[in-house]
Amino acid sequence: MTEIKQHPPETPAEDTSWEAEIQRVGFIRRILMARRWYGADWWFVSISAVMVVGFIVVALFPGLFAPYSPDALVGPRFLAPGQHPEIPILIVPQDSSITSLKDMAAPEGQIQPSIAVVQGVPTAGALNEQAQAIDNQIKNEPEGLRLRPRIERFTSLEETLQAVVDGKAQAAVVQSTEFERVSAQFPTLREGTSITGQTATAGGFILGTNDIGQDVLSRLLWGTRVAIIIGFSASIVALVLGVPLGLLAGFIGGSFDRLLSLVMDSLYAFPGLILAIAITAVLGPSILNVIVAISVLYIPTYYRIVRGQTLSVKEEIYVEAAQSIGARSLEILRLYIFPNVIPSVAIIFSVNVADAILTGAGLSFLGLGLPPTIADWGIDLARGQRFIQTAWWMITFPGLAIMLIVLAFSMMGEGLTEIFNPKLRER
Amino acid sequence: MSPITLIALIVGIPAILLLVYIFVRGSTGLRRYILTRIGLTLPMVFILATLVFFVLRVLPGDPVRSALGPKGTPEMIARIRTQLGLNDPMIVQYGRFLGDMVTLHFGNSLTGGHRPIIDEMSERFPATLELVIPASILALVVGIYGGTLAAARRKKTLDYSLRIYSVVIYSLPIFWLGLMLQLLFGVQLNWLPISGRIDPVIGTTIKHITNLYAVDALITGNWPAFLSVAQHLILPTFTLGLILSGVFVRMTRINVIETLQADYISAARARGIREHVLVYGHALKNAMIPVITLIGLQVAILLAGAVLTETVFSWPGMGSYLVERISARDYTAVQSVITVFALLVALISLAVDVIYSMVDPRVRY
Repeated sequence: MTEIKQHPPETPAEDTSWEAEIQRVGFIRRILMARRWYGADWWFVSISAVMVVGFIVVALFPGLFAPYSPDALVGPRFLAPGQHPEIPILIVPQDSSITSLKDMAAPEGQIQPSIAVVQGVPTAGALNEQAQAIDNQIKNEPEGLRLRPRIERFTSLEETLQAVVDGKAQAAVVQSTEFERVSAQFPTLREGTSITGQTATAGGFILGTNDIGQDVLSRLLWGTRVAIIIGFSASIVALVLGVPLGLLAGFIGGSFDRLLSLVMDSLYAFPGLILAIAITAVLGPSILNVIVAISVLYIPTYYRIVRGQTLSVKEEIYVEAAQSIGARSLEILRLYIFPNVIPSVAIIFSVNVADAILTGAGLSFLGLGLPPTIADWGIDLARGQRFIQTAWWMITFPGLAIMLIVLAFSMMGEGLTEIFNPKLRER
Repeated sequence: MSPITLIALIVGIPAILLLVYIFVRGSTGLRRYILTRIGLTLPMVFILATLVFFVLRVLPGDPVRSALGPKGTPEMIARIRTQLGLNDPMIVQYGRFLGDMVTLHFGNSLTGGHRPIIDEMSERFPATLELVIPASILALVVGIYGGTLAAARRKKTLDYSLRIYSVVIYSLPIFWLGLMLQLLFGVQLNWLPISGRIDPVIGTTIKHITNLYAVDALITGNWPAFLSVAQHLILPTFTLGLILSGVFVRMTRINVIETLQADYISAARARGIREHVLVYGHALKNAMIPVITLIGLQVAILLAGAVLTETVFSWPGMGSYLVERISARDYTAVQSVITVFALLVALISLAVDVIYSMVDPRVRY
């Protein structure tokens, strides 16, 4: 095929041989060859592609990364990031061999250990339960060990710990933070594990817990799935409807084009979020309805670009040539026009996913669209807003996640634009 | 006179006078353009109205049943349906819907106090205006100045930082920016209030004339109220304004760079005109033309952003009214608010196009 260009290159001195080549290759090769042809940097695309892939992997397997289930109540309420929850831990003398509750088990028939606790605090109950559980677990084992500790109650924290120092009890069980407060007074004592066998510093939550004790990080990771599902499905539906309409309108032209364009322009001008609010309000909350509402908004974006491109490609000589040798309209659309619009569609798609995620988050922030139990960033933000005075971590991290995912997709769109439209590069 | 008519008069009369002036003084081409553009607005309003009607009436879901909830007996549902004319054939309902829209007849709230919706709107609409106008001004100032600065210092650190700014700003969820500003300036530093339009105690002293609190306080010389209004305005204005500014930075930068490469700029440069004058005097003026079109396109983002900003800051405007009414399942109010939004979009885009055609004589049909 000879290249016939309608517009001569603006700066004839420049080497523009790639412009001829670019017309002949497909989508993937354009990305790969962009650097060689006109020095387009694809590091922008690479960075965003790594981020995008990362988000998609998290969205596919949130369970692998999330420490807890998103709905499980796993800790105390309003635990700040990095702060340790109050857990009952074992306090033993420095020279003792005991580190966990299980180590205190004694053979059947021997004297069971005594454990000191503070009177009137719930640790005694927790200790009893845990000892019972361990006992049930080990009593059928061949060693014949049992764990039925005697629980000695003391009136104050100091007295409880003193009892261990004096040897009246083998160990004490107190709240971890309380021991930290007085540990200087009892240099001969050290911390064992918690009564459930964790170390005292375990059980922290990297991003804290929310108002009902769910792990913020786990909800964040599971929220990726919802965001990706909404972003991709809405954009795909919009693409599937918008691209053929744009092709047809641009190709057929006439009153069909004028009418459709008027409808699409009106839809495009209308504030998308408000239309989505109306649609989800009528359809009711469900992820499917959100996808429907958002995809309606983005049909015009594809339509407008594809129509414009079709109009200009239609005038190319090779289309005229195909027409003159009697190619059918459908064939011309499929073979000559459609391949030309793919790059722009790829760019819009990428930007569109970002937009759709933003709109979806906005909808669920308003309390529309998604059922309130689902792990979603917008819902978590709306929930966190009520506790803005106490729990900054509840509103900071989900928003950061939205920003990063939107940044990843829009950066990718930007990078692709640069690769496909080298003329824009210098801007 | 109700505040909403007052505002309509304040905004509407000068707008119409300006339009008439442009029309009378303009060339034949300009006149033809304005007429065609008005002619195109009507189908746009019609299509948007049809869209609203389709979404709210044709899509499945019974508004009356959901408004009444489980306590609605079948008789009550039937009675209200007849009252609202929901049992009529779709085409009759559609005709009545269009008629109501033209006459701005909105009816009463379906749930709650059953207040006339027009009364609610005359309280809510000025609040939205009070938020949207300063936010747009902020966005334009930051956007145009930042964009020109970036273009003038092309490929320098400032240019790169402004480009990063516009990309990051685009990716920020507007409600999150609002929350972060609240957290920083409202909660941590405790400098600014984080919700409402005015301090509730001072609010009782304000006289409601236009319901634009800042204007009302100024007219009546109520300085404490004005101060309170200004304080309450800062965070929402910055939230909405900064989000909008990103696109303007980007567009202004591209256009100024493009204009700076034009021949007449090179000619001016050759005549020894200083770079500063070149950028701000010669290039910016021409670069502004496409930015004006962008203003028209940003109206949609502005209104959608206003809905979220109002919700974050408990700002009693149209957006939060819409969200409130949706949770109250008040479908007549929801329909009215969305219709008003549609009308606004159509009118603003008409206004922007007319101004555009006046600024740039090349635009004609």
